[in-house]
Parts: sequence; C-alpha cells; structure tokens
Amino acid sequence: MNAPPGLLRGKSPGLTLARRSLALILLCLLLLPFADLRVIAVDPWGELWRMLQGFVWPDFFALENPFYAIALTVSVALWGTFIGALLGFPLALLFHHSRLIRGFCAFVRAIHELFWALLFIQVFGLSAVTALAALAIPYAGIFAKVYAEILELTPRAPTDALPSGVDRLSRFLYAELPLVWDRLASYTRYRFECAMRASVLLGFVGLPTLGFYLESAFREGRFGEAGALLWVFYALIATLQWWGHRRLLPILLIGAVFCLGPWPDVDGDLLWRFVSQDLWPAPLLHGDLAGMGSWLAGLPELLPAIGNTLLLALMGTAGSLVLALLLWPLASRHFGRPWQRVGGRLMLVVLRSTPELMLAFIFLLMLGPSMLPAWLALALHNGAVIAFLVARHADGLKTGMTDLPASGRYAYELLPRLYPNLLALICYRAEVIMRETALLGMLGVATLGFYIDSSFQYLMFDHAFFLLLVTAMLNIGIDVISRRFRPREVPLDDPCSR
Amino acid sequence: MPLLNFDNVDLGHGANIVLPGLTLSFQIGERVALLGQSGAGKSTLLAEIRRRLGNTAAWCPQGHGLVPLLSVYHNVYMGQLERRAALANLFNLIRPRRDAWQAIETLTQELGLEGLLRRPVEQLSGGQRQRVAIARAFYQQREIFLGDEPLASVDPHQALRLLERIQARHATSIVALHQHRLALSHFDRVIGLRDGRVVLDAPARELTLAGLDALYPDAAKTKVEAKDETRDEDRAAPAT
Repeated sequence: MNAPPGLLRGKSPGLTLARRSLALILLCLLLLPFADLRVIAVDPWGELWRMLQGFVWPDFFALENPFYAIALTVSVALWGTFIGALLGFPLALLFHHSRLIRGFCAFVRAIHELFWALLFIQVFGLSAVTALAALAIPYAGIFAKVYAEILELTPRAPTDALPSGVDRLSRFLYAELPLVWDRLASYTRYRFECAMRASVLLGFVGLPTLGFYLESAFREGRFGEAGALLWVFYALIATLQWWGHRRLLPILLIGAVFCLGPWPDVDGDLLWRFVSQDLWPAPLLHGDLAGMGSWLAGLPELLPAIGNTLLLALMGTAGSLVLALLLWPLASRHFGRPWQRVGGRLMLVVLRSTPELMLAFIFLLMLGPSMLPAWLALALHNGAVIAFLVARHADGLKTGMTDLPASGRYAYELLPRLYPNLLALICYRAEVIMRETALLGMLGVATLGFYIDSSFQYLMFDHAFFLLLVTAMLNIGIDVISRRFRPREVPLDDPCSR
Repeated sequence: MPLLNFDNVDLGHGANIVLPGLTLSFQIGERVALLGQSGAGKSTLLAEIRRRLGNTAAWCPQGHGLVPLLSVYHNVYMGQLERRAALANLFNLIRPRRDAWQAIETLTQELGLEGLLRRPVEQLSGGQRQRVAIARAFYQQREIFLGDEPLASVDPHQALRLLERIQARHATSIVALHQHRLALSHFDRVIGLRDGRVVLDAPARELTLAGLDALYPDAAKTKVEAKDETRDEDRAAPAT
C-alpha cells in the first residue's frame, strides 16, 4: 500500500500555485521584523471612534462651497483621461513595433500621478496644467500598453474577408477598430474611475480638488466635514454610470473646460532653465565627472529607502493576497444571504473607491507615523479591488455539487477554479502596489517617496529627479519579476482588472 | 477557356500541408461545387484560388467575416473598400455616400434585407447575417464568385433562392457547400475532397446522391445522410 503524499507534495498546478503563494507569505513573515510597525498614537481607538462618528453623522452644512471642488475634481479627471487616451492611442499603434516606445511608456507609467504633479508644480505652479499633465502623462503610457494588448486580440476574420488592396486606414477603421471598440471604451471608462481617485489625491499637493478639503478637514480633526466630503465622493463614484453616460460625455467635456483653472503664466526662460539645468546634477552639467562622487554622497541614504520601499511592496502584496482570499466570499452569490451580500459588496466598493493614500492618511492619524498604516491601507484597498473581481468571476461559475457546506464550496468547488486567476491579478497588482508604496512616503513613511517629497520641498530638484528615476527603474524591475511569477495559463480577458 | 491550373502543387499553411500534390484545373464559365467533410481541405483550396485570382473574384468567407458593431450598410460597403480613397471611406462612416447607399439598398432588397440597412449586424439573426455576407460579395461586382459555405446558416428554401441569385450574377462560381441535392441540381461540376485528396471530379449530371456518400467516412455516413435529408425535404426534383 502506498503512503499518501506528504504536506503540499505533488505536481498538480493547484499545488504549485499554493506553494508559490505560501512562499510569498513566508518571505513576508520572515522580513516582517525589519519593518517599523509601532503604534505611536496615544489613543488609536478613540481617534477611530471619532472618525467613525464623523463618517456616520456627516456634517454637510460644514461644507462651505463643495461644488467648485467637485466640478474641478471631475473636470481634471475627465480631461486628464481624455488627453491621456488621445496621446496613448497613437502610441498603442506603434507599441509592438518599437522597443523605444515600449520603454518610454514603461517609464512614464512607472512614476505615480502625484510625483508628476510635484514635478510640474515647480514650473506651472498650482494650476490646471499641472493637474492635467500629472494625469495625462502616466495615463498615456498605461493606455498605450493596454490598448496595444486589446488591439492585438482583434479577430482576424473581417480583415481576411476584405478585397485586396484596401489602404491601411480604411482597413483599420472598418475591419479592426469596430471589433474592439467596446473593450477600448470599457477600459477607458475604468481608467476614468481611477482618474477620479487620482484627481482627489491631487488635493494632497495643494490643488484645490476634493482631496484638498478632505486633507485639511482630517488634519484639523473636523471629522464631520471630512465624513461629508467622503460621502460626496462615494456618491460621485456610485452615480458615475448615470452622469458619465456615453451620450453626456461631449457636454461634460465642454462644460469641464470652464471649470478648469487657474491657467498659469508660463515663463519660457524659467521652464527652459528647469528642464536643462535644475533637474540635472551640477557636476554633470559642467563635465566634472570627479565631482559626481561628492554629489552622489550628498544624496539621502538610498539603500534603506529602497529596502523600505521593497519591503512595503512585498507586505502590501502578501497582505492583499490574504485579504482577497478572506473577503471575496462576502460579495459572491455562492455565500450568505442576500442582505449580507449587499453589505459585503458595499464594504468592498467603499474600500475600493477610497484612494489608498486617503486610507493610509486616516490610519496614520489613528496609529501614528510607521509602516503600519501604509501596510493596512495598501492591503485593504488592493485586497478589496481583487476580492471584487474574484467575486464577479465566481458569480459566473456553476457549482457541481449543490448541497456542500460553505467551507466545502469554498475550498473544493470554487477556490480551485478561481485561484489561478486570483494569483494572476495579484501579480498584475504588484506593479500598482509598488507605485503606491513610493507614494506613501509623502505621509512620512521612509520609502523613496519620502525623500522625493522632501527633495522637492528643499528645492533640490536634481536629487528629486534622480530619485524619481530610481523609483521608475525599481517599478519596471518589479513589473518584470511579477510577470515571471504570474501563472501563465490564465487568460485575463478583462483588461479592467489591471 | 482555362481559369486557373494546379499542377502537382502542395497546398497548406506554412509547413502544415493540407492538400499534397494537387492537380486540378478550372474553366471560365464553369459552376463548380466543392464537397467534403469539414477538415477535408475545402477552405485551404478556396483560399489558394482566391489568392491566385486576386480581385477578379468576389469572396464570401466561411463565418461571414462581418463586423458586428457596424451597420448592414457599412458591412456591405466594405466590399468596395479598396476602390475609394481613405478619406472618402472615413467620411462614409459618418455620413453614407448617396451612390453607395442606393446601390446597396437595391442589393439588400433583392436579398430580402429591406429596411435593415441601418441595423448593426450584431442585432441580426444567423440567416440575415448570411445574406449580408452574400450582399457584400455581390457589391464587389465581379465575374467570378468564390464562396466558402455561403449557404450554411439558411433554411433549404432560402438556400435555393440565394444560390440562384449568386449564379445569375456570376458566370463562374466555385462554392463549397454541404447540400448535396443543390450540388447536383445547380452546378456543372462536382469536386469531392477527402483527407486532402481529390476523390471525385465529375460533371454533376453523371452523379447520384448515393455516389456522393463515398466522400464521407463510414462512421459519419448515417448522420450526414439524415442531416441532408432534413435540409432537402421541401425541395423537389432530386437529381437521382
């Protein structure tokens, strides 16, 4: 008689994935002692209670004039996405033909919207140009990549049916574009939702969107007002399908032009000096290579910052994985009663819609400045995003045995079918998490973002720019690693999952 | 007059040869039916004939090759896409050309698609899509008609009517199909393929329905016959 195989022994794809995921979580646990996870605040629960009160009893009358902030938030998101799509589309057509373009796109999307904003603020001030460029530039890179992937999957049959000698443009317009139009549009719509969150975040660097008022309300402990602003934002996201209807878009776009502002006076000389001199190390500009040594020595300590960034990204990814596994049944039709499902879905939507920086900021006020709030925020937000997609996937599945207990349904019927997809989503998400970790530095966590933010504050643009380049390289590296790690055999046909 | 010749050529996709050592010739003015199981090599042969004839032949592909999001008008218009400049084609997407609209309206009326010109193809039934694909082939206005199962998704009565239209508009036609009775009654010549070989090439009047069964391996024989029977039930004048 043969003995049954030992723990996690075997060659089935499920076990391989399980071993891989456990290795990821184990690595995270091993490195956890190096992370700074102290709770510094005196009374975290009291703080949480006051915030919850503000959220449950929002004070709408405290909002002085929210309409301008709302209009600006929407306008920036709308035009940022629109310009990004306009720039990204031609890039997508060349994407698979040019290594240079692929590299350029990887670079612009590796830098978070807020860092672009910090860069442009130096030249264009707190203006609409800064806000639009901060969204449009990284989005152009993202659109180029995703549009190119979608276009690659265009069915060939209509093209093959054409008479020979049809020019390239006509072929594209008649036999290719209409076939993928729906997918392009639905991805653009999803990106617009991301842009809404990013547009709120721009308030954190001083642009007067909703985030600006949110930040000051939270910082000054006016939680009733903060709660009201959050509710306004959730309402905007929840009603997006009505006010953001396809037919209303042209009107919205035109109306949004009048809400954008202020427009800056651009000083050409200043702009040129910034681009040609301020961003670069002085020794390099003077051709003094020996001087580069002392310039490099003057940089903030890079290794701990990079270590912290990578550690936080790993913790965020592992945390999202665990949370996604726990949370998805809450929103799936296979579990619980209808009213419980509504509650679960609502919770996931709220977690998913809240910008992660916002979440981190709330936890920061509660727990004090350590890695803990950043970790919680990353894991909760991204875990909820993935749980939501997995629940949607699960709802499309039929279980074979109907009368299994919930645990059996979870572990035997559903999870084996969902898990490859879930892990693939986590791997796609790792790049996003990496971008966000750097960003959380702006709240005081000693990641690369912290040093970028402070370099900008001390007007050391050459340092800031160098650190931005390092961040971008790290992100591109993480993207390559996660692509290796991701299960290959899963077709991810829903581009909105990225 | 010869239309084209295959003289001991291997046909296939890259290294994968589907029709080895093919020798076959076609004449102008000939109506040829291609029979055989799926996978026998009909599509490969038609694709090669199409490649050789280029734009002298109208083409109606298997599975229609339509664009679901575009209207019936635009899908039919695509038959002449190569004859107009890119800008004219671009503008036609926004505002249909008057001359093309009228020509296509006449065509679609002939094929029983009246009133559907503005309808996106995705909202049509299978039979209607089939007729749109045939309308597109007609709009190409060629002497020769090449069709890869252009009658696959219509009922027997319509198949007969459509085939008559196709042959009225094109002196020469080479059509792959499954309807054996139609092959015998409406074509001059029948070519049968099996596993990449030409196993039958004879004038239609010399053939019988029973003789065509040789094209199908024994296991599938009864099933195919049954299917053929139901398809042909309301049509008179079998060639037997």
